Amino acid sequence: MPYRAGERRRKLAAAVLGRDPGPAPRSPEETEPFDVVSGDILDVSPHLIILETADGEQRRLVIAPWATAWRGGAVAPADLPAGARVVVRALRGGTVAERIWADITRITGVIREVGGRRDLTVELDCGPHRRERSIVVPYRSSGRIRVRHPKLEPGYLFDAIGLLDQGTSFAHLPATSQPPYRAAAVPPPSVAYGGGDAAGVSGSAVWADLADLPDLPDLPDLAGLAEGGITEGVAYPMLEREDTGCDDAGVSCAGLPYLALGSLLRVRNVCDGRANTLPIVACGCLAGRFCDRCLECGTSPRGRIVELAACSYVALGGDLTKGCFNARVGLG
Amino acid sequence: MLSTIAAAALPILVVTLALGGVAKLATVGRDTSPGALARLGPAVLMPERFARSAMIACSLVEFVLATGLLVVDHPVARWLPGVFFALATYVLWDLRRRRPDAGCGCFGDVSDAPVGLRSIGRAAALTVMAALVGADGVTGLPRVTVETAPWIGGGLALLLACSPEIDGVVSRLRRRVPCEQRPMPPARALSRLRGSAEWRAHAGSLLADEPSDMWRELCWRFFVFPARGDAEVVFAVDLGGRRPAVRAVVVGADGRIAGSDDHGDASLRESTPVSA
Repeated sequence: MPYRAGERRRKLAAAVLGRDPGPAPRSPEETEPFDVVSGDILDVSPHLIILETADGEQRRLVIAPWATAWRGGAVAPADLPAGARVVVRALRGGTVAERIWADITRITGVIREVGGRRDLTVELDCGPHRRERSIVVPYRSSGRIRVRHPKLEPGYLFDAIGLLDQGTSFAHLPATSQPPYRAAAVPPPSVAYGGGDAAGVSGSAVWADLADLPDLPDLPDLAGLAEGGITEGVAYPMLEREDTGCDDAGVSCAGLPYLALGSLLRVRNVCDGRANTLPIVACGCLAGRFCDRCLECGTSPRGRIVELAACSYVALGGDLTKGCFNARVGLG
Repeated sequence: MLSTIAAAALPILVVTLALGGVAKLATVGRDTSPGALARLGPAVLMPERFARSAMIACSLVEFVLATGLLVVDHPVARWLPGVFFALATYVLWDLRRRRPDAGCGCFGDVSDAPVGLRSIGRAAALTVMAALVGADGVTGLPRVTVETAPWIGGGLALLLACSPEIDGVVSRLRRRVPCEQRPMPPARALSRLRGSAEWRAHAGSLLADEPSDMWRELCWRFFVFPARGDAEVVFAVDLGGRRPAVRAVVVGADGRIAGSDDHGDASLRESTPVSA
């Protein structure tokens, strides 16, 4: 069962501190998260989509007349190919598909090497717990990417949203403006002496392909080694290095408090009030290195505070092609 | 009287120059925030690629001047600090006019507040002190005597009053980095735990010396040790403060609390807000 060790930790901590181990109740201004279904398309027609989830279960969803789909660009839901991996935002208990994202991938990493003249091939280091990736920036997207990523040079950060096509990741949209500093030179938090506000920290919440993590070594059982990868949870930057084996953790320009793998976080989408309590399942080594702001609704304070798994991100009302939402994070 | 003031100014100048040099070198060595050097002191007036070398050159000049004041018995060595501080006063004045956002960088990145009249006043005061030293011809190792001590105190008080850095230091002291943001190696928390009464109370029942699991949440670090009877002893060590609170509880295999420390469960609930 995923997050079992995390649950055990929460119980033990609750026992020794004499507190309630369960998540805090939802406050009145917070709304329920969306239902999210993810899986591979078995069949799709203009009115119905049939998916096979990671557990092997078949799900049939009615496609709402207003539904939109994305696969490298806006497409009609019926044009999605069979076999595509999709994330579906659903209504009515997960039976009506409203938004569909197919084969979408988040490409976040430190540039190691850039090659090619027309189509660029970029080698990325995606952190100690995520694999190194080789991605392609197709010529038709390179203008868009370069405008927001002027320094396609080794040592600088890269963050784009792309399409996974036959095992190759193609960058389509820049997810942020590239930070002007190198990945190894993250500015310190600007309000280091602002006092600890355990009730909540505001900033930018992004999403990541956390589903890739279980293929990798040494994130312990805490990471929830389910067959289909991590579909729920967050990666958090401010973890103690000794506890987690994340050598790059503990860096953040948002002034975050230290937490542990397994801690519960209450993540609230400030833009639409949806909130959920999610466990920390991975190190957000790269998220801590971005000091950008999210501009989805107003300007967020600088710094990425959490990286959500794609399904958790969609459930909280995020649009995967936008890349971030303004968030407030408290302890669950 | 002037010679007494000059004798009092000498140690102040030497210490100020040495401190300034060390702080600037430390800032260059840290290099945490890219472009930060280009927002400090005279480096602002140079292209960014020379900012680092300008900072190093400035600190080396300060070391040379401080050493010169101490060991070289020549009028040039005595007058050069005066020239240096006069130049610094002009540069700060110019900086305030041209780049009102830049810090003076006098003590590296500690002096990152925009240049104000206090910084300029401090440089001017140091110029006067250096001129006195130059005019009076004081040299050699500074000696603190009954006559010079009040002047040294007065000079230091003047410099401190003119130092905008003091405001930052005071605010740091008053509002420390909250403990949940302070890094703390697990080994230190473990040694704190091993010196606590809770550890001694449960040490007999533990099956291992090393914890089977440990993690940190905010200001608490938790250690889990396997214990007799298929139970586990959980310790929570508070990471804030000098005399940290340590709490312990024995949890049975079924997840039930087998016994808590002397505070009792009810009082714990009252004293610990639900946060972590």
